[in-house]
Amino acid sequence: MSDQLSADIVVIGSGICGLLTAQRLATQGASILVLEAGPRRERGDIVNSYRNGAYKGSWMNPYPPTAWAPHPRFQPHDNGYLVQTGPAPYPAEYIRMVGGTTWHWAAQAWRVLPNDMQIKTLYGVGRDWPINYDELEPFYYEAEVKIGVSGAPNTGSPRNKPFPMEPVAEVWAMRRFRERLAVGGYDVVSNTTARNSRPYDNRPACCGNNNCQPICPIAAQFDGGVAVEMAEAAGVKIMANCVVYQIEHDAQGRIAAVHYYDPDKNSYRVTGKTFILAANGIESPKLLLLSASDKYPNGLANSSGTVGRNLMDHPSNSLTFDVDEDFWLGRGPQSPTSINTFRDGAFRSEHAAFRLDFTNINQSRPVAEDLIKAGVYGPELQTRLRYGAARQVNVKNVLEVLPNPENRVTLSSQKDALGIPKPQVYYSFDDYTNKGMDASRLEYTHIAQLMGGTNLRYSPERAYANNQHITGTMSMGNDPGDSVVDKFGRTHDHENLFIVSTGVMPTAATCNSTLTALALAMRTAQHMHETT
Amino acid sequence: MPFLRATNASCAAASIRARNVLFATGIAFAISTGGAAGQSSSTSDLAKQGQSLATATDCTACHTAPNGGQNFAGGYGISSPLGTIYSTNITPSKTFGIGNYSETDFARAIREGIRKDGTHLYPAMPYTSYAGLSDPDVAALYAYFMQGVPPVDVAPPKTSLPFPFNMRFSMAAWNALFLDNHRFQPDSSRSAQLNRGAYLVENLAHCDTCHTPRNFMMAEKQGRALSGGAVGSWYAPNITSDPVSGIGGWSQDELVQYLHTGNVPGKAQAAGPMAEAVEDSLQYLSNDDLQAIAAYLKASAPIRTAEAKPRNAYGIALAADSTLNNAAGDMSNGAQLYSGNCASCHQATGAGTKDGAYPQLFQNTATGAAQPTNLIAAILFGINRTVGANTAFMPAFGQGFSPVSTLSDQDVADVSNYVLQHFGNPNLTVTAQDVATVRQGGPPSALAKLGNLALPGLIALGAVLLLLILWGIFRPRHRPLPG
Repeated sequence: MSDQLSADIVVIGSGICGLLTAQRLATQGASILVLEAGPRRERGDIVNSYRNGAYKGSWMNPYPPTAWAPHPRFQPHDNGYLVQTGPAPYPAEYIRMVGGTTWHWAAQAWRVLPNDMQIKTLYGVGRDWPINYDELEPFYYEAEVKIGVSGAPNTGSPRNKPFPMEPVAEVWAMRRFRERLAVGGYDVVSNTTARNSRPYDNRPACCGNNNCQPICPIAAQFDGGVAVEMAEAAGVKIMANCVVYQIEHDAQGRIAAVHYYDPDKNSYRVTGKTFILAANGIESPKLLLLSASDKYPNGLANSSGTVGRNLMDHPSNSLTFDVDEDFWLGRGPQSPTSINTFRDGAFRSEHAAFRLDFTNINQSRPVAEDLIKAGVYGPELQTRLRYGAARQVNVKNVLEVLPNPENRVTLSSQKDALGIPKPQVYYSFDDYTNKGMDASRLEYTHIAQLMGGTNLRYSPERAYANNQHITGTMSMGNDPGDSVVDKFGRTHDHENLFIVSTGVMPTAATCNSTLTALALAMRTAQHMHETT
Repeated sequence: MPFLRATNASCAAASIRARNVLFATGIAFAISTGGAAGQSSSTSDLAKQGQSLATATDCTACHTAPNGGQNFAGGYGISSPLGTIYSTNITPSKTFGIGNYSETDFARAIREGIRKDGTHLYPAMPYTSYAGLSDPDVAALYAYFMQGVPPVDVAPPKTSLPFPFNMRFSMAAWNALFLDNHRFQPDSSRSAQLNRGAYLVENLAHCDTCHTPRNFMMAEKQGRALSGGAVGSWYAPNITSDPVSGIGGWSQDELVQYLHTGNVPGKAQAAGPMAEAVEDSLQYLSNDDLQAIAAYLKASAPIRTAEAKPRNAYGIALAADSTLNNAAGDMSNGAQLYSGNCASCHQATGAGTKDGAYPQLFQNTATGAAQPTNLIAAILFGINRTVGANTAFMPAFGQGFSPVSTLSDQDVADVSNYVLQHFGNPNLTVTAQDVATVRQGGPPSALAKLGNLALPGLIALGAVLLLLILWGIFRPRHRPLPG
């Protein structure tokens, strides 16, 4: 291969943020090369992997890691790639592949609330963002049009223009939640999602495969695969199986090149004028730390020492119960509906805010697994499976954690197959989080009562599920002493290195992070176009 | 029928789809979807009548540019091997449209393919069909375009084909051979409905433009009316009354339903140019007119073509989805592609959904035809058909046409063969070259090949034309009324 690889802009990572930033800049005339560590696969191939896979409940199952670009996997066993050192696990399920982790997201595409961006000022906790909501609003809309978002208009995030399309048809079970919980004062609304309710941008409408995770088989929801096609249509060149292991700077601290290994560990150097790091909230800080030099002994972009710190996600607990009427979850999208009234309030000075989310995942598999595990068989299995599939429901929270510098990504002493240090995480929960969980539990109980719930099964105390919303590790801020990038995503330390990622979000808020990261990325792209 | 409009498809897709269809296109006078656009309150009754007629003639496909072009302002570039032909501005603009046309000028243009300035139109404009339009209908159309359509003072790009095809006067010779400039004459021995059907099929809605095969000079073949023809990337099937090759096995109601909705579950779904014809034109026709078309087709002269069985008579549902389990790793590429890209909607069994939203693939005219053309084209370009409030949408799978997924020519061939073997006409085999041909807009026409020979070709072309003119002078002039 040529050692003359070069482009105006070199992007590291081909997830939704990197690709759509690349697409935007390519449309404006730049030559762009995207380097992706993982392989390239087509949608149909992933669908087949799902169809033929044994672990249907694992969203990672159709995405086996490669030897050269491993990623974490926890079923059937932890593959040990993401080294855990803290009291709480951080089982991030991200995908190193062309298109990235949104291949298996549920397409929740929320805006934060204006107050989410200033919780330090308003509630004395966490930190403020360097920008306000109004500055981000036009870019939210741009991102929503790009990926086809719909949602309820009344979830607390103001908008200047209506959603580009209507939400998908209300699922029967969710309608019943809405109707019955209204009695208790709960406002159950349609989720804000990048899912087509009608043909949009040459993609079909959702037809309710109920398979959003781990793969929408028809691309009715926007995902990494669609981003790939969009970027390439704009002229972006994507190279798979290029494992970037070092970012090289010159004497002035400008980025000069990046170096990558192919799967056989041959090394290549790629030069460019501007570089965009878009390799997610764990692999990106890993790469910055890996690129330490004599001039930057703590890693690139890390004069503040905050690269990798303030690791956040949205921990969840949940309540599973049987409702008193047949719901038959599983028709329509997996995650259509939520309650948004606990996302903000004076209580945020005391405990975490949260969103409540109702699952619509078909319950046949989890119910069957539980019954078989309990030794139920024969006609009773059939009867109880039918009952559970019709009646079992689940409500969970999506809860804000505060940035804590001790929760962090570092380099492990363990190496992967190419000899690159594995990422290592330390993670823990504080009382602010735990009290938020307790507050959620009260709501779960009330909700179960209103729904005539029986057989209530709360998830274990103080054990929380992870939601793969990796935030905080390359935080944006105005002070170069406590942040990695400025308010436009440019690293404080390297004039021609930008970061687009959920990792630049200073706080996690109470909603899925992708749309916010994408809006920030569009803003970064706009800034790059104007200034570089 | 017009098929050159890029509705929601990309321009690139549309122009590629339109390649090579130069003279086979039904470029009619355009009217906006629904036939309601641009009508002023002072429009006369005659103009309103003309608006309905313009819906039947479906002018909008070519005379309104896709993706936001102004109504009837032209400028839709039809990419062809001879060069790009741009549709004209047919608004009453006095500078760039037909604002200075008298009714006589207008009639001459649509019936004879001759503009006010005396130059010839290319027969991409289906004036050979419109020649039969009655005087009152032409008057109504004229009234509509003059009174009901706002003028748009925009000049469409000029068409300039390379030599020798830039010699528009050569069309005079072509017309001498192939233009039957006579009004439709009702056949008193047939019912009013059949006469109305004949007028619609052969003239107003010009079904023949696509469904009648063309000779090497791109004129409709005499004696082969409605027996099927290639239309760019697609194939307009045999719609004669032949029970094997045509629509002889369809009921009257099925035909009407198809024309009205583009969908007869368990039988056929309109795609490509036919979907656009249903969208823009046929869904708005009166039930009487649709019944007349169906009756006329049912009564048309049967013509047997290559079909061994009716197109909707092949295949059955597969028993279960066990065939899509690749646990043993022994599935063919075609089966894996079907599993990954098709089965989520059409089901492993091929049965689609019970409500017909996703059609069954067996006993389906797209998979049981004597040509795999429409199956390949549907996979490459997808389907997007809006009738009333319902949209039938299948994503494209061809490279550069879709953000959903991209299949190579070989992959499209493999999955086509899987579908043909399991659900359709098993006697067909699709190759990657077949797919490439459809992707590029269908097989090149003989005329285009001749044109590519440039000067040597011109000499040959001139000789051929001369012979044809001589033959034309001595041949019978009236084409028989089919049926």
